[in-house]
Amino acid sequence: MDSPSMSSDLQSFLEQEKQKAMMNELVGKLTDVCWDKCITSAPGSKFSSSETACLTNCAQRFLDMSAIIIRRFQSMH
Amino acid sequence: MDPFSSPSPASSSTPSNEQIMDQLKNQIAQAYAEEFLETVRTKCFARCVTKPGTSLSGSEGSCVSRCVERYIEATQIISRAIFNAPR
Repeated sequence: MDSPSMSSDLQSFLEQEKQKAMMNELVGKLTDVCWDKCITSAPGSKFSSSETACLTNCAQRFLDMSAIIIRRFQSMH
Repeated sequence: MDPFSSPSPASSSTPSNEQIMDQLKNQIAQAYAEEFLETVRTKCFARCVTKPGTSLSGSEGSCVSRCVERYIEATQIISRAIFNAPR
């Protein structure tokens, strides 16, 4: 880059893409973890209602847990 | 391919913001697709090809197609669960 400062256009674009990438990464990670926990048999042509519920609960509880861990770390100093 | 090569290399000026944004979007999408492919490959191999034989059997093949569909669906379920569920 020869210009000393990026245009604000580009900067907000990058910020936006960064947010999107973080969200995608979170979804990817949760799917990875929850797939292993919830889908234990060979995948069928349709998810059972218990598998669907497990995936939903798994994702939401992971976030709850993250919040606890973050609070725990914040209280350390 | 040079990620930042401008479509018209003759013009010596730096690429426009629009060009940079387009290139970046493409590259991000491609990286995402590659990562997703790799994950699905790992997951479905683990789930469907439990005892690799001398060739992929028909049932292993159909398990893999179901597995790919389910993994995509699982991604959508998870996404919904964390972004638009009343919590």
